[in-house]
Amino acid sequence: MTSAQLEIQLIASLVAIACAIPGTFLVLRKMALISDAISHSILPGLVIGFFITHDLGSPLLIIMAALSGVVTVVLVEFIQKTKLVKEDTAIGLVFPAMFSIGVILISKNANDIHLDTDVVLLGELAFAPFDRFLLDGMDLGPKSLWTIGVILIITLSLLFAFFKELKISTFDAGLATALGFSPAVLHYGLMSVASVTTVGAFDAVGAILVVALMIAPAATAYLLTDNLKKMLLLSVFFGVFSAISGYWLAHWLDASISGSMTTILGMVFLLVYLFAPKRGLISVLYRNKQQQIEVSLLTFLLHLNNHTEKNERHINHLNEHINWQKVRSKSVVDLALRNNMITIDKDIISLTEKGKNFTDKAIDYIITNDDSKIESIKEDFFLFRG
Amino acid sequence: MSFTEYFELLFNDYTLRTISLGTAILGAICGMLGSFAVLRKQSLLGDAISHAALPGIAIAFLITGTKETNVLLIGALISGLIGAFWIRGITRRTHLKSDTALGLILSIFFGFGMLLLTYIQKQPNANQAGLDKFLFGQAATLLARDVWFMATVTLVCLLVLLLFWKEFKILLFDADYAKTLGFNTKMIDTLITSFIVLAIVLGLQTVGVVLMSAMLLAPAAAARQWTNSLGIMVVLAAFFGATSGVIGTAISASQNNLSTGPVIVLVAAAFVVFSFIFSPSRGLLFRQIRFVKNRKDLQLHKTLAFMFDIAKSHENISHPHTVKILNNFHGYTRKSLSKLEDKEYIRVEGLMWAMTEKGFHFAENLYNQQVEEND
Amino acid sequence: MKQQKFAVTVDDLTVAYNYKPVLWDIDLAIPEGVMMAIVGPNGAGKSTLIKAILGIIDPIAGSVSIYGKPYKKQRKLVGYVPQKGSVDWDFPTTALDVVLMGTYGSLGWIKRPGKKEKKTALESLEKVGMLSFKDRQISQLSGGQQQRVFLARALAQDAAIYFMDEPFQGVDATTEIAIINILKELRKEGKTVVVVHHDLQTVPEYFDWVTFLNVKKIATGPVKEIFNDDNLTKTYGINYKVSVQK
Repeated sequence: MTSAQLEIQLIASLVAIACAIPGTFLVLRKMALISDAISHSILPGLVIGFFITHDLGSPLLIIMAALSGVVTVVLVEFIQKTKLVKEDTAIGLVFPAMFSIGVILISKNANDIHLDTDVVLLGELAFAPFDRFLLDGMDLGPKSLWTIGVILIITLSLLFAFFKELKISTFDAGLATALGFSPAVLHYGLMSVASVTTVGAFDAVGAILVVALMIAPAATAYLLTDNLKKMLLLSVFFGVFSAISGYWLAHWLDASISGSMTTILGMVFLLVYLFAPKRGLISVLYRNKQQQIEVSLLTFLLHLNNHTEKNERHINHLNEHINWQKVRSKSVVDLALRNNMITIDKDIISLTEKGKNFTDKAIDYIITNDDSKIESIKEDFFLFRG
Repeated sequence: MSFTEYFELLFNDYTLRTISLGTAILGAICGMLGSFAVLRKQSLLGDAISHAALPGIAIAFLITGTKETNVLLIGALISGLIGAFWIRGITRRTHLKSDTALGLILSIFFGFGMLLLTYIQKQPNANQAGLDKFLFGQAATLLARDVWFMATVTLVCLLVLLLFWKEFKILLFDADYAKTLGFNTKMIDTLITSFIVLAIVLGLQTVGVVLMSAMLLAPAAAARQWTNSLGIMVVLAAFFGATSGVIGTAISASQNNLSTGPVIVLVAAAFVVFSFIFSPSRGLLFRQIRFVKNRKDLQLHKTLAFMFDIAKSHENISHPHTVKILNNFHGYTRKSLSKLEDKEYIRVEGLMWAMTEKGFHFAENLYNQQVEEND
Repeated sequence: MKQQKFAVTVDDLTVAYNYKPVLWDIDLAIPEGVMMAIVGPNGAGKSTLIKAILGIIDPIAGSVSIYGKPYKKQRKLVGYVPQKGSVDWDFPTTALDVVLMGTYGSLGWIKRPGKKEKKTALESLEKVGMLSFKDRQISQLSGGQQQRVFLARALAQDAAIYFMDEPFQGVDATTEIAIINILKELRKEGKTVVVVHHDLQTVPEYFDWVTFLNVKKIATGPVKEIFNDDNLTKTYGINYKVSVQK
């Protein structure tokens, strides 16, 4: 591994971490699309900044870009307030317009600008090591390493300083206000961090892939845990993992680094989406199936409990009146029989003592609708599953 | 080429005419179907689908090795649909919210697509140069048969729209109610969604995956401001879309180096801004004017109501009173007095004023009207 | 008691959202020509019951019949007034247009509303006192007026049974009285009216039949007989006392 390769991986990892942290909060606050809007709309700011300074590394670029990010957020909120269109339409109108301005500015000045539309979409991580940060002739490493490093340090210190506030305001905005944390300050604070991070990550990974780095690790982590700290750690892990393996994938295919980082993120998400222990698709489908059987069983027992008349308890009644298919009625009756909850006498079904107790308990839960009672019942259910 | 030259050419030059016709048709179908997307609050779904279409284009090229637009668009259609279904799967089966699902799918699919594009570019047999046009659109690559194809799809879409107009409308407004009336809402829903996806895919060549969603939203958002009728909104949106398409293509064709997508989007955005400000019923300008006028009227009405209370206590409503009484009243000014006189609500003679019959009735009704408005 | 014909019969109905049951084994028979309130605490499944009867939600067990036949065959006998908040009132359409939707069911697929349907819609608007607002954009109507438009739409269905989901929510006193008068008119014509209702105080005044619901059915019957503290306590879980005004 050459030092340039090492530096690229280091930059990519830092970008991933810097994106994952605000990304986690954006996902939890249902504002994931704001990152999409910001990443598109900083482009005109960047380009105008470049026209002024003619230096891609100038801090003015970051300021201009962040400014146009803020303009976007304000504009979206203004349009939403006028109620002329729905909220999502407001976002959908503003950022393509801003992005278009940026793209047109670039194409109109294609000759005297190092930006081109590919860079806008993909960034140029591969060239990052060649743009060195020189101080008095001393080589201090790639410039973008410094940029993203500083942003990451700021983000981390803000995270540690305001972790409690962020946590409360994310999970319970009402409580946060009551405790005296202004939701507006946190909202705009988070927006600013997201904007600055997007700008910092922009020349490494490009406009649209920044969005992937913000949302995908957080979304993946959210499928695995509810705990905020674990979620942050997991998203950082997924981000770094995709940065490093994405680099090698790109190296092997001789293709875009940021494209392959995103692809790795996508594959990680797909795996977790399918196989996550509690929230993965497979376990969700399995659980739904179980719940369906349980609900059917309970419906059936409750029906027996409610009716003393023989005709209501006749086995054929299940098919006719409860409106179940034959197969389903049979499997439910079998399940109840196996667990000794019913007896069948000449096609008339009766509840056993155990069945009665169980039904009473279930009714208790249904009426009080007390969530704490679900747990004991759920345990019972696992007992009954043979 | 200047702008006027372009329009001269438009009538003579076959290629240019083809291209302009193509973008006009595209704008029209996007505006039409975009109206439905906007009203269904699915504005951003279009964005996700168009981005998700990119890997499909690349894969179709890798498999077939052809630059045939229609083949590539079939790939786009398939991967766009996969993206759309995956978004639905995520929001239904997990606790991730729709914004996360949309952002996730659009960025991941797009990233994967870019990976494939850069991979293709590095291939030795790289006759790949055509794929880039799908990023920001290149109307110049439209061929006559592309336009024919678009026109056919638009026509079919229009026919279905006219045929099932009533069903579309009721589904958009109140899906549950439509279900109780016996309409198969799932089928209508699938129909609308497939048309929207189809419109997106059709637009990829001209507008590009990155900005396609704006082509759906902007004409519809602009049209909504001018009318309160769904039918007129759809027609207007189609008109705005077609106009943006043609003007955008004209501008981009008259300049070097300009992709069509961003230009068309900006023209459509200009329609939106104009509509937001100048629409007579909803626009911000007239809203502000009405606001100011209402405030002035309110001042005037307050003064009149005060006078009414005084006049009421006399048997003869036109009994004259001195202007001085009004001095203590907050809303009273000389100007408002003369305005009321202009409207013949009062008569002023020297330092005395008296209410007219007309003014008395108006003031009476004023009070009733307010009660009704509070309903 | 004389032999009664039942407008709606619900048998063993169980409904679950995401496999979490919200209605359990409901048996309910609504006699023809009554004006019935469904009452119960929040989350008791009142709206769900109506939606399940109307086929908007598929139940996991049980069946519903309207005048002895499945709902699907009897759609035209049923009118529905959904909760006002369930639709987007900024939708580009007029009051008359919304009311016209009430006639779509009898028109079936593809056919457009014609003169006859328009006449029905205008008559319905007149019944609710909204004729002068027929061309108003629906967002420019007050909450009470919007509710009246919804009611007019159901009237345009010309049904035998009307289901209404909280028609008095967020409406002014005048509209409430206007609506209740229309409902009483409907009952006089022999129609059956089922209303999800929140205000317990007005139950004895407005309705003659009541169903107490809290996930399970607690009780159903004439207001005079069963609207008492005992059933209210059973339904709402706490010691409930209303001063029932006779």
